[in-house]
Amino acid sequence: MKTFNGYRRKNGTIGVRNHVIVMNTTGELAGLTKKLANLVPEAVPVTHQTGQMQYPEDIQQIYRTLKGTAGHPNVSATLFIGMGQNDPAETIAEELQKQGHHVHAITVRKNKSISLALNEGRQWLAEAVKRSHLEKMEMADVTELTIGLECGGSDAWSGVTANPSIGAFSDAIVDDGGTSILAETPEAIGAEHILAKRSVSEEVSEQFLKIVDDYESRALAIGEDVRSANPSPGNITGGLTTLEEKSLGCIKKGGTAPLQEVIPYSGKPEKKGFIFMDTPGYDVESVAGMAAGGAQIVLFSTGKGSPTGSPIVPVVKIGTNPKLYKNMPEHIDVDSGKILEGTHNINDIGMEIYDLVMEVANGKLTASEKNNHQEFAIWRLAETM
Amino acid sequence: MTYTFEGYQRSDGTVGTRNHVGIVSSVICSSIVVREIADRVPMAVPFVHANGCAQLGDDFQLTKNILVGVTKNPNLYSSLIVGLGCETNQVSGMLKSIPKTKPTKGIAIQELSGGKNTIDEGVKTAEQWAEEAASETRKNFPLSAINVGIMTVEPDESSLHQTAPVIGKVVDRLIDNDVNVIMGMSKTLEPAGRILSKRAPNPKVKQDLQSLSEGMRRGRWEKVQVRSTGLDEWSEEETDLSNLEARLTGTKSIDGLLNYGSYPEEHGFNLMRVPSNIVEALSGLASAGCAVVLMVSSRGVFTGSVALPSMTIAPQNEDDFEDELVDVAVTNDDSDQQATRVVQKIIDICSGQESKLEELELGEFSISHSGTTY
Repeated sequence: MKTFNGYRRKNGTIGVRNHVIVMNTTGELAGLTKKLANLVPEAVPVTHQTGQMQYPEDIQQIYRTLKGTAGHPNVSATLFIGMGQNDPAETIAEELQKQGHHVHAITVRKNKSISLALNEGRQWLAEAVKRSHLEKMEMADVTELTIGLECGGSDAWSGVTANPSIGAFSDAIVDDGGTSILAETPEAIGAEHILAKRSVSEEVSEQFLKIVDDYESRALAIGEDVRSANPSPGNITGGLTTLEEKSLGCIKKGGTAPLQEVIPYSGKPEKKGFIFMDTPGYDVESVAGMAAGGAQIVLFSTGKGSPTGSPIVPVVKIGTNPKLYKNMPEHIDVDSGKILEGTHNINDIGMEIYDLVMEVANGKLTASEKNNHQEFAIWRLAETM
Repeated sequence: MTYTFEGYQRSDGTVGTRNHVGIVSSVICSSIVVREIADRVPMAVPFVHANGCAQLGDDFQLTKNILVGVTKNPNLYSSLIVGLGCETNQVSGMLKSIPKTKPTKGIAIQELSGGKNTIDEGVKTAEQWAEEAASETRKNFPLSAINVGIMTVEPDESSLHQTAPVIGKVVDRLIDNDVNVIMGMSKTLEPAGRILSKRAPNPKVKQDLQSLSEGMRRGRWEKVQVRSTGLDEWSEEETDLSNLEARLTGTKSIDGLLNYGSYPEEHGFNLMRVPSNIVEALSGLASAGCAVVLMVSSRGVFTGSVALPSMTIAPQNEDDFEDELVDVAVTNDDSDQQATRVVQKIIDICSGQESKLEELELGEFSISHSGTTY
């Protein structure tokens, strides 16, 4: 059994990183939140422009994502910055504290000026960073790992090299009792029947077909064809011609294991094994959703070379072709282009990915981490009010 | 008397109140590179946001329009567009839409084989522009050379009773001085559309304002699926508050009703549809060419725009928690005198004095969505 040394949290989960983060509950506080994080070395700002004046379905999704991020196993401590009388910061903090997380909320304007808030925030964060350094590590095995599977900036090789290799990895970790999450609902359009057939039950199959169908009809209802946003301009120059082609390549990341469960954006899987999360194809929003759902590491294949990461989870970049690896070595962790050169097969790269996942779980930094890529965005459903 | 201020003349003829070199991200994927370039170059300001890819139709067009609009803002000496390469919002497409009247350049991470090269290349360009921009000097211009933005933040009855008479007068004086004023119209001001429509000479503007007052029509996630748009009628309370907010607009004619981020075609007083999200609203005003914005609020506001000086006007607070955020505290004194104070503050800030939010370095940028991402 493959093992790694991680950080055991009070709620029983295990993290592969030990971040101290600062989050805003509402867009107006994004600037203040970044300012505060800058005052404390090692504190990471996780900011967004949502949370204000939105429809209930958006608000629910935002709070679920904020909670999932703050209570993530890779996070040692979270400071929330909220504002005014009805802000959710304190309620969210209390809820997470009850689950054993180290969380604090500061609400400006209710009873604190900016300078007081910055002072209190800086002190709390400095303590939290000190405390995080004292946390002991313990050994855990692969059954406790959840790995997100993403693709971004795909080219015609994505479905030939990197995605099938990720699929081989997914099958291997699921065989070993671990969990993998496939996402990007619009990128299953045209290939949904293949995944649906792999569902463990009729119910799961129906749930999956429904989220795919909903996505396409929502676009059609506003007079747009989702097949016109996808493939993107970069996909087309990369050699992809239709969304179906992209989808057939995209779902290869999911390997061949049975589909256990379909979960909402930033929801937590209840089952182990192969899972599907309903997310947009928009990389940063999709990665943020899988992270908030508890994935400790995300694999991300790219043909054109996408540098993005996450503020809380290591993102592993898998290049689809040898040229990309030579051009952008600073952004790529695994070169699956070796399959095209004939020196490796899909299974070899799948195992190389698996070995790297275990090293990353043990603390090895990924390309996106070394370059401080900490992009974060929450999937927006409705129009901004 | 004619209001004048000290501003920067741009190569396209517009006049700015600040002298920024804009580093504009075409998509979220290049935001880290954009921040890094801006961090390394004096005068450089990062425009980063969560949009730019996996967007469709109107929602995508909105992102592109706002970004193109921002590069035209007179507070920017020049703009460097930084993209990834494979995104929906292509750098080449943006460059096509930006008039070649100010220094503009586009680069992309995939084209330059990685973030480090892109940062080096971007810093080189931005440093050269920063040097050129530093040699620009402020000169005296009539205030009518700029667009002044106004927006309301969390209005409530008691604060509006204090601020509305003062700001209404400020607006009237600005219009009398031939200054373009663009006021953000978020949903709180919509119920007053009928009252406002009486001041609109243009029949189309009149009609649009009236229809806004009928109720809130917005596309939403569930309803969009059944091809219907929700129409929620305004409550009496919402309407009363809105009528009070309408007093902020002064008494002059309403010459235009702009879509979010659009540049005004009519000189004079324009309303612009904006979301309630402050940062998104400010980005719309920046894209519409405003060189300064007044935020009329019930309280100190915690963020401004990176593009333009944002000054806060709020009622004087008895417990002095938020004074550190308020530029002009409105009292119950004579409203004419207070209007004079506000106008003077606008002139001072336009001439280079830092607003409270600028002193605290609190400014953001973000673009509204008209639909979901894909």
